[in-house]
Amino acid sequence: MASDKLRVDALVVGGGIAGMQSALDLADQGYQVALVEKEASIGGKMIALSKVFPTLDCCSCITTPKMSAVAHHRNIHLLTYCEVQSIRENGGGFVAQVLKKPRYVNEDLCTGCRQCEYACPIDLPDPFDRGYGAHRAIRVPFSTAVPQIAVLDIENCLLCGKCEQVCPVSAVDFTQTPQQLEIEAGSIVLATGYEVTPRDAKKEYGGGKLPNVIDALFMERLLAPTGPYGHVLRPGDGKEPESIAYVQCAGSRDQTLGVPYCSRVCCMYAIKQAMLISGALPLADVTIYYMDIRTFGKGYEQFYQNAKAMGIEFVKGKVARITEDENQNPIVRVELIDEGSRVVERTHDLVVLSVGMLPRYNPQPLYGVPVADDGFVEVPSPNISPCVTDRPGIFVTGTAAGPMDIVDSIMTAGAAASEAAAYLRARKSASSVSTTTGKERELVYA
Amino acid sequence: MNGKEEAKKRTQLLKRLREEHKDTVARTQALLKEQNAIRKQICQVMRDAPKTVPEVAEATGLPASQVLWHVTAMKKYNLVVETGMCGEYYLYRRVEETKI
Repeated sequence: MASDKLRVDALVVGGGIAGMQSALDLADQGYQVALVEKEASIGGKMIALSKVFPTLDCCSCITTPKMSAVAHHRNIHLLTYCEVQSIRENGGGFVAQVLKKPRYVNEDLCTGCRQCEYACPIDLPDPFDRGYGAHRAIRVPFSTAVPQIAVLDIENCLLCGKCEQVCPVSAVDFTQTPQQLEIEAGSIVLATGYEVTPRDAKKEYGGGKLPNVIDALFMERLLAPTGPYGHVLRPGDGKEPESIAYVQCAGSRDQTLGVPYCSRVCCMYAIKQAMLISGALPLADVTIYYMDIRTFGKGYEQFYQNAKAMGIEFVKGKVARITEDENQNPIVRVELIDEGSRVVERTHDLVVLSVGMLPRYNPQPLYGVPVADDGFVEVPSPNISPCVTDRPGIFVTGTAAGPMDIVDSIMTAGAAASEAAAYLRARKSASSVSTTTGKERELVYA
Repeated sequence: MNGKEEAKKRTQLLKRLREEHKDTVARTQALLKEQNAIRKQICQVMRDAPKTVPEVAEATGLPASQVLWHVTAMKKYNLVVETGMCGEYYLYRRVEETKI
């Protein structure tokens, strides 16, 4: 394994919207930043979404310029397909050992033309489309991926060599091996993101076995212009659905799943998707089964009222069970709280589970940063320092710290960058003979 | 090094990698074989006229969700195209037939 060294002011771990924004905010202040992303492209979950609430702006149109800005920023060293393996302290700073996974494609030569992808004979479920679409063993991760460089999945490769034969610039390189990279950084920003409740988490909702019960992230893909079908179709048989139901709190505020908290985004994304469905399928009926509707952000309540005015049906009641009829139409059993708690069964063409946010990564073993009872990164003083972790020099942003929407993720990204910048300044002042007084340092540090 | 030597070196490298990853290659080959058999069935049904996913599923005996996945994959890589709707379902046909 070859080894390389890099010295930066800040190491940002995670290339989703929060990590990208933190990296940009630090880099714009003149700090040198290394952004490490485990996937082959930055963009995180946001790049796969259709539109953002409450403005209904196109997600790709917001995220892609940020991805591009990160890739082209003179102060950002972008390291995709890399994973941090260990962290040690070094004179008040940190040294990270990073594994650069082999792409089996020469990054300097590849132009992202995708000829290798078209030549590859094997189709595999594409996680970008939640497994409902396909990609090849060698591929550019998705159409707006940054960097636009192919990656070969050696674990699902036939090793037939067709990609190598068609590559016009001879970029396919089967000789690549994992590389070690050492990054010295003054501070670290954790932006490791979240996962959603698995579709099979609740056996009452079909345990992932009902083909026409999907999660909301897949509905995002169905509504996105780059979605797998190009239309809103149900995955069981490709039917254009006429009746779509949302089941709220399908993974949040649910003690049976060990998730007592509210995921904060599900009400709003369900309302947003319902509005988008009304646009894509004007004749479809959309019903949202909810316990409470929580529209706490700026413009959110008006968004909800607009959805009601558009004819989206809001039904108060917790869905107890989902089964299916002989045509694989999901049947929702629900108690109608506003109708004397009458229990009814309603048949829909497609059911969307408004799945919650779960912690994705525990930084305790590697970074020595503890997690709270909910599994998200612990923030000792959430009211006054929402991005400061228990370990000096390590900050947290976005959903690594807890469920939050894109607006809050971007806000905490700026906050984490400011905290990191203040920390770096204080450290620099403390380590050099400067005119800064102790009192001023203290202020800067705080 | 001339082109012939380079080609020989590449072939040897692939041979060595196939040996190193023989379990992976065996699994992927089996997957490809199954995929090709399914695609053959789907394409045969679509040969005479565009078909919906349930029509293909009924003719082949494959689950409709599986047919949709393969049609989606083939559509992505321009092997199948949509040709309008029949009721609530889209119709699909093979690209070669579109060209004729």
